[in-house]
Amino acid sequence: MTFKLYNYVLSGNCYKIRLMAALLDVAYETIAVDFYPGFEHRSPGILALNPAGTLPVLTSGDMVLTETQAMLTWLALTYDVTGTWYPVDDPERLATITEWLGFAGRLSQSAGLARLHDMLNWPADEKAVKAAAISDLRTLELHLNDRVLEGGLWIAGDGPTIADIACFPYTALSPDAGLEHDGYPAIRNWLYAVRALPGFVAMPGIHYLHDLKETSGD
Amino acid sequence: MGVGVGVRMNSVAVGLSRDLAPKRVMRAVAYGHDLAVWRDGENGLHAWDNRCPHRGMRLSHGFVRGDRLACLYHGWQYRKDGGCAYIPAHPGLEPPETIRAQTYSVIEKSGVIWVSTGNDAQGVDTGPVSEPLRSLTFFCAEAIARAAFEDTPFAGNLPQVESTGRLVAGGHPVAVLANPVTESETLIHVLTSAGVGIAAKKALSRWCEAARSVAERQAA
Ligand code: FES
Repeated sequence: MTFKLYNYVLSGNCYKIRLMAALLDVAYETIAVDFYPGFEHRSPGILALNPAGTLPVLTSGDMVLTETQAMLTWLALTYDVTGTWYPVDDPERLATITEWLGFAGRLSQSAGLARLHDMLNWPADEKAVKAAAISDLRTLELHLNDRVLEGGLWIAGDGPTIADIACFPYTALSPDAGLEHDGYPAIRNWLYAVRALPGFVAMPGIHYLHDLKETSGD
Repeated sequence: MGVGVGVRMNSVAVGLSRDLAPKRVMRAVAYGHDLAVWRDGENGLHAWDNRCPHRGMRLSHGFVRGDRLACLYHGWQYRKDGGCAYIPAHPGLEPPETIRAQTYSVIEKSGVIWVSTGNDAQGVDTGPVSEPLRSLTFFCAEAIARAAFEDTPFAGNLPQVESTGRLVAGGHPVAVLANPVTESETLIHVLTSAGVGIAAKKALSRWCEAARSVAERQAA
């Protein structure tokens, strides 16, 4: 087996890893962790693995990773035969990717937390966290509109990278927190492009394109 | 400064043509109506009431199949004229004529999508200033949003206001179009001219953000 993912199906951060693995066509083992209502990520077994008690956790042999940015980097460097998802030979592009990996971390704390608050009544300063989420969505929209003005589409360079995957889930899921995408055309078109990638997988709240059955009604 | 001031307008700018590709759907608001605006495979443009005649699902969540818009919920498909063409649960049934999406008049002009709630959408001709820059939402009333562009310096200088109502910011011509979504939310579309380079466009895009800060601070 390639790696193990300690996974919660409704988590956008866990989904980042599932999505990246699917796009790279890597098989792996998942261990379901009952984040809510079980709070199993705070159980002794998981805490022994990840003292921070966050999800996901990725293990491979003796390696234990607890940060999604590190997992995406490792997945791309290990399984991407094309070398395009994390292009190590292009310093400027790689720096831009790292920049947006950092942004993705902030987005988890803004749009991600706003969603947890609305979905699970998670404790948060709702006003502050939604203002931060809007500010982050605007930052992403500004950048993606720059890319459109340049004739591009993706966050860094001419094709998708781990930066796109890192930023995708909590941007796509922001309507769960009442933050619709209608006023963000560049984000809307970029989300669509990610969903159109070969191998794309869905999660609750993010569906496949054309996932409607042709002949059945319900 | 509004482009079109003095012109009797029956239409409102809901988006940039550039931002809606063929076979794609977007949600828009025109005069308080919630709309699904979509392009068929031949680039034809359609604006419909955003409610599926079946159970009211937003049609903007749907998708385009050939020259039809299909609802995401139960897959009912609608022709370009709004009439229901196909009901997946009853594949043999010819859907009755009465099942139809409500359609609105829509046209493209100056690189912008214009919708009317009447039957003759018309757009503003912005002349050579029809190169799309971006659309962005301001959380404030339309008048405040418009005024903010005049009050926001570009590279240290306030923009000039031309007799056409257009602005010149840092030497670059700019047209600002506004769609009042609600009393406290305005969708702004900004155009410039084709000769403006990418670096200048990016600078103008940041100037739009600065204008938004000015407007939203004033509205707060
Ligand atoms: S609500 Fe649209 S098909 Fe049922």
